Amino acid sequence: MTDRLTELREEIYKILPEVDGVIALKKGPSAIVAPYLFVKEAADDLQKLAVWPKEPVPDTLKIIQRAHPEARLAIVVRGCEERGLVEMFKHSQVDLDKVTLIGLACTAEEADICRCTKPAPTHAKIVIGERVEGTVDRLTDDFTAKSLEEKLAFWKQEYSHCIKCYGCRNICPQCFCNVCTLEDEKWVETGRLPLPQPSMYHLIRSMHMTAKCVACRECEETCPAGIPLSIQFRLIARDVKQMYGYETGENLDQQPPQLLVLEEGEYERTGLPH
Amino acid sequence: MYEPKIIGFLCNWCSYRGADTAGMARLKYATNVKVVRVPCSGRISPELVLRTFREGADGVMVLGCHIGDCHYGTGNHRTAKRMPILKKLLEYNGIDPERLYINWVSAAEGEKFATVIDEFTDKIRAMTPFEEVMK
Amino acid sequence: MINYHNVLTTCPYCGTGCALHLQVLDDQLVGVLPAKEHVIAQGGLCIKGWNAHAFVNHKDRLKTPLIKKNGIFMEATWDEALDLIASRLAAIKAESGPDSVAVLSSAKCTNEENYLLQKFTRAVIGTNNVDHCARL
Repeated sequence: MTDRLTELREEIYKILPEVDGVIALKKGPSAIVAPYLFVKEAADDLQKLAVWPKEPVPDTLKIIQRAHPEARLAIVVRGCEERGLVEMFKHSQVDLDKVTLIGLACTAEEADICRCTKPAPTHAKIVIGERVEGTVDRLTDDFTAKSLEEKLAFWKQEYSHCIKCYGCRNICPQCFCNVCTLEDEKWVETGRLPLPQPSMYHLIRSMHMTAKCVACRECEETCPAGIPLSIQFRLIARDVKQMYGYETGENLDQQPPQLLVLEEGEYERTGLPH
Repeated sequence: MYEPKIIGFLCNWCSYRGADTAGMARLKYATNVKVVRVPCSGRISPELVLRTFREGADGVMVLGCHIGDCHYGTGNHRTAKRMPILKKLLEYNGIDPERLYINWVSAAEGEKFATVIDEFTDKIRAMTPFEEVMK
Repeated sequence: MINYHNVLTTCPYCGTGCALHLQVLDDQLVGVLPAKEHVIAQGGLCIKGWNAHAFVNHKDRLKTPLIKKNGIFMEATWDEALDLIASRLAAIKAESGPDSVAVLSSAKCTNEENYLLQKFTRAVIGTNNVDHCARL
C-alpha cells in the first residue's frame, strides 16, 4: 500500500496548483482517517495523506459543490466511489464537468473485504495502483441458494438487531432526498423496536435503491448491528441489469430505467403477462 | 374455513370499469377482494403494496390498462417497471412473490376480470395465511 | 480559499463514548461522519450520534438563563439566576426539610460534574435523593 500512497501523493502535488482543492483522505488525531480538502495554500498537509480505510467521499464533493458551485475540484475515487459519482451526476446532485477524477485501484485484499466485482475506476483518466480482478460475491451467491423459508428466517434474525439508526441511509451516496419516505409515519412506523415484520424500513430502502446502488458497502460498514445489507441491494442490481440492461455507474449517458418508458424488448424480460 | 383477505388496486379507466362490466353481466366471482380505485396503476408505489401486506393482506392485486392503452399515456409503463422488481424483492425476503399479482384488464374485459379474481383467490387460499408466515 | 475538514470528537449523548467526525465547511457545521477506526464505535453511530450536529446552531438553543416572571420566561443574568436558585433552595430546605429536595443528573455530564452534583446534594442540601436520567 505504501507505493500506492507515494504515487498518489505525487499525483496530487501535480494537480494541486491547478484546482481549488483535492478531496482525499487525511490522517487526523489518533491516526484516524477522514475526508479532507487539500488546498495548494497548505500543501504540507499532504504528508498526512491516507488511502485506507475507505470513507464516503462522494458526499463530500456534493457538500462542497453546493456551497461553491463554481469551484474546480479534484477527487480521489475508488471504483465504487466513481460509480457513486456517476449516479449522483445523473440525478443532478454533483457537476462532474469541473471535477478531475483521480482513480485509485483497490488491492486484492480490499476487493475481498468488499466482495467487489469491479474494484477499479473506469472513467478516471489517471488510475493509481495496479488494477486487480474482481472477486466472486460468495455471500450473495450463497444467499440465493436458500429456500423461501430460510430466506425469511435469515432476515427475521438479521433485522431483529436493527436499531433504526438511519446510518445506512445517511451514509449512502445515493440518498439525497430532502423529504425522505423513511421518515414518513405512513410508511415506516416509529417507536417499534425490534422492528415489526415485514420490515418496512428495509424493504422500502431496497426498492429505492433500484438502479442506484453502486455496491460501495458503506451501509454495511456503518451498520452498528452488522446486518449484511448489501445482499439485497446487489441482488436487485443483478435483476435491474437482466431486465433493463442497466448497470449502475457504468455509462454517464444512460438514463436510469425507472424514469423512462419501456424500451423495445424490455417488457418480455419483466415476466409480466401478455 | 380460512378466507384470505385480498386488496385489489384497480385503475379508474380500465380495470375498475372492467369490474363494472363484470357486475353488469351478473358474473359470479370470489368475494375476497376489496377494491381500491386509483387514477392509474402507475400510482401504486412499492410503499403502498408493502404497507398493504404489513396491515395483514394475504394477497395484493394491481390491475391496470393494457400497455399502450393507458389513459395517461405511459403510466402503466411505470407499473411494468416497478412491480417486477418488487416481486423479486419479496422473494429475497422470504415472502412468496405469487402473493403480488399484476395484470392488465380493459374496461370491456368483464369475463377476464372475474376469471383473474377467482384464480388468484384460489391460489392465495391454498397458501398459509400471511400473518402466520410472518410470526 | 475553500476550507473543508473533519473534526474528531466524542458524541455528547450517552455514556458509551462513540467517536464521530464533525464535518466543517468554511467554519460552518454541516454534518456528521462516523469514525471507522475508533475502537468504541468502529464506524457505527446511533440515531442520536448521527444528529449530534443538529443542536449546535439550533434556533431554540438556550443562550442565557431564563427566569419565569408573570408566567413568561424572561432573559436573565447568571448572577440573577444563581441568586434565585440559592435563595429558593435554602428556603425550601428550611421550610420542608432537606429530603423535600431531589437532584436529577445526566449521563451527558462528565464524571467530575456528577461527583460535584452528588456532593452538593449530600453535603450541602443534606439529602440522599440523587439520581440520573439513565436510570429511568
